[in-house]
Amino acid sequence: MLFRILKNSFLKRPKAVFLIFLSITMGAAVATAFLGIAGEVSHKMALELRSYGANILIEPSAAEGGGFLREEDLPKIKTVFWKYNITGFAPYLFGIAEFSSGGKRERGVVSGTWFAKQLEVPGEDVSTQGVKGIAPWWEVQGRWPEDADEAIIGAALAKRLNVASGGEVTALVKGRRQLFRIVGIVTTGGYEEEQLFAPLVTVQTLLLQTGKVSRVQVSALTVPMDDFGKKDPSTMSKDEYEKWYCTAYVTSVAKNVEEVMAGSRAKPVWQIASAEGALLNKLNSVMLLLTVLALGASATSVSTSLMASMAERSKEIALMKAVGADRFQISSIFIGETLIISVVGGIVGYFIGDQLAEVISRTVFNSTIASPLWLFPTAIISAFVVAIAGSIAPLRRALLVEPVKVLKG
Amino acid sequence: MTRRRWLIHLVLRALGHRKGRTILLLAVLAMASSLATALGIVSSSMERRVAEEVRKYGANLIVIPETARLEIGSGGLDFGVVSEPTYLQQSLVEGALARSGIKAERSFHLRGALHWKDSDLMVEGVDFADIRRLFPWWQLKGTWPTAGEIVVGNDLAASMKLKPGDMMECGGKGQTVKLRVSGIVTSGGEEDGLLFVALPELQKALELEGQITLVRLMVTAGGDSLKKSAVSLQQLMPGAKVSEVRQTARTSEGLLAKVKLLMLMVTAVVLVSAGSSVAGTMSTTVLERGKEIGLMKAMGGTRVEVMLIFCGEAAMLGVLGGIAGYLCGTIIAQFITRTVFSASADIIPWIACVSLGVSLFLALLGSFGPMISVFKLDPVRSLRGE
Repeated sequence: MLFRILKNSFLKRPKAVFLIFLSITMGAAVATAFLGIAGEVSHKMALELRSYGANILIEPSAAEGGGFLREEDLPKIKTVFWKYNITGFAPYLFGIAEFSSGGKRERGVVSGTWFAKQLEVPGEDVSTQGVKGIAPWWEVQGRWPEDADEAIIGAALAKRLNVASGGEVTALVKGRRQLFRIVGIVTTGGYEEEQLFAPLVTVQTLLLQTGKVSRVQVSALTVPMDDFGKKDPSTMSKDEYEKWYCTAYVTSVAKNVEEVMAGSRAKPVWQIASAEGALLNKLNSVMLLLTVLALGASATSVSTSLMASMAERSKEIALMKAVGADRFQISSIFIGETLIISVVGGIVGYFIGDQLAEVISRTVFNSTIASPLWLFPTAIISAFVVAIAGSIAPLRRALLVEPVKVLKG
Repeated sequence: MTRRRWLIHLVLRALGHRKGRTILLLAVLAMASSLATALGIVSSSMERRVAEEVRKYGANLIVIPETARLEIGSGGLDFGVVSEPTYLQQSLVEGALARSGIKAERSFHLRGALHWKDSDLMVEGVDFADIRRLFPWWQLKGTWPTAGEIVVGNDLAASMKLKPGDMMECGGKGQTVKLRVSGIVTSGGEEDGLLFVALPELQKALELEGQITLVRLMVTAGGDSLKKSAVSLQQLMPGAKVSEVRQTARTSEGLLAKVKLLMLMVTAVVLVSAGSSVAGTMSTTVLERGKEIGLMKAMGGTRVEVMLIFCGEAAMLGVLGGIAGYLCGTIIAQFITRTVFSASADIIPWIACVSLGVSLFLALLGSFGPMISVFKLDPVRSLRGE
């Protein structure tokens, strides 16, 4: 009996049912899409902000710039506790050299570095490390160096030496010569424009500093500094220190990296780190508020559309009462109706919302998104709860009607 | 009673008679348009707020003497002076900035060396008020300096064993100055190895009155206009070189574009879904009024007239909902920007039109669709209740 009533209630008034279905589907879709991206957005934004450049600098602990770090320690950076937070790093070795090209001579800085080196660390996936990854704002006209004697040159230095890409520059350090083929001109608007960048190995040989580097820039995903993070680690109790070490503050990641590099000290680059923290905090709270707003809106629109459709059915209810149905039977008919529509709407809405999240993530961040599995039951159950909440008030009013009055008109 | 007044009367009575339904529809329309308003205001002020936040990453344009070498940058990689220093006239730069009409925060820097004990210290002359405002990443232990006081970089302080309160007697080219250390700065960048003195004091000590070596500019501009600013400034300052700091300038551009796109998508998703749901609710209420339409037709109302009554009703609801929605939405937007950016949201007049438009559009869309099907009804059959 109940089943027959339900079946006919759907088949005889397809338009009304469709409208409720539409509203529930849309509500569930928005909820799914927002819950799906809200969590991811903060991670994606943090990754996005990493393109501002390295936020940790490792230098030799000897105060007066004379010391060096060991190149063999570098792969250890990918094995530290916070290894998954480290998005990239690049070592540098500097020296002053006499550059000459086509009769012009200039004193300048020669830097050895990794451009995009395939780094193999036992027990870890192969990763690409180097300047190309951590400094995406470098504009290279030409291409990045691949061979040992290829180099890119800063725009200002190139102008003074009057070389273009395809040219050659000879570097002279204490009587040793090295010929570099210039394959690109780099523009950054910073000090890099005064330097010549060549593969690390070549510069190590030129400067007679085999296996040594003078600085390492590390780009790491960190959480914004809060009051606890600002405390001086040396004054912390053991438990506090543990907590500090296990939170990805820029200071604790720096400390973590410092421990694996012999004779080093790592310091956060506050210009980058503090701005990043502030920005991330704000973007996250905007997303949170918008999510609350969107969830609230979809809940309201679903429940109002149910109210609208329920309120006009007092005649139906009166008739049911007149033929002897009790409140429980009437309620079960209407709640059954709502249940079916909201479950179907919730499922369809989940898939639409999933797609929406995917589209947003793809257009904005160029990456896919994985909606968490718990969203599926959540979408259906919340669609049902919201739908029931919307229909309870009008249903209760309808149940109070006097059949005779209503049926008389 | 004229025909027009009669129509208005009919619309008003129809709305008044079904109070519960009218309030429900009004609430739904107001909700949709307040969503539109709030999202519109938040996303348009988002861009500016984020642009302001992004400025905390530092200068996006720098001005240096034409012959000088670039020695600035973040990341803490810098090298001592390799070439002879060259200078810019401070008054010249100020004049050029004023004439160019570019809105920019500026800070002037003068690099030089002061002799203390047996060593030469790298010193930078700055305006500390500018520094406090434009370099929020400086972490200062001690106090900000007043006249005759200086700030020392962390590394320099460690190697020279300086602490706040110490007195230093530094010799410059012009005169010897007595300076008191008021604070130690940590930035993780080149600042860690420098000594900071008030600009006029350093200029006097080095006999370089009115000279500076570097100007950092934070231009509030996105996209191409930053490049244009650089070009126009360059033309006004022949002896200087204006360059764009790509690390901050380009990255910020990319970030702003992403934030804008994200907000746009989010707004679109919410509006479309809330909109379709609201239009659905509107439709539900019109669908149920078949009998009323039948009666009107039976009494001799033409299709256009009946349509007019229903559209009039919908339009009235739409306008009221739109106004309520605008007010609500502004409050919501105000709340969001206040909690997140602790600044009040911009009041954007055209948003009012948008919220009215959204509400009207949804109301009409919701009643128009089902009305077409209702019109096909035979009045006799609908009145008989078939």
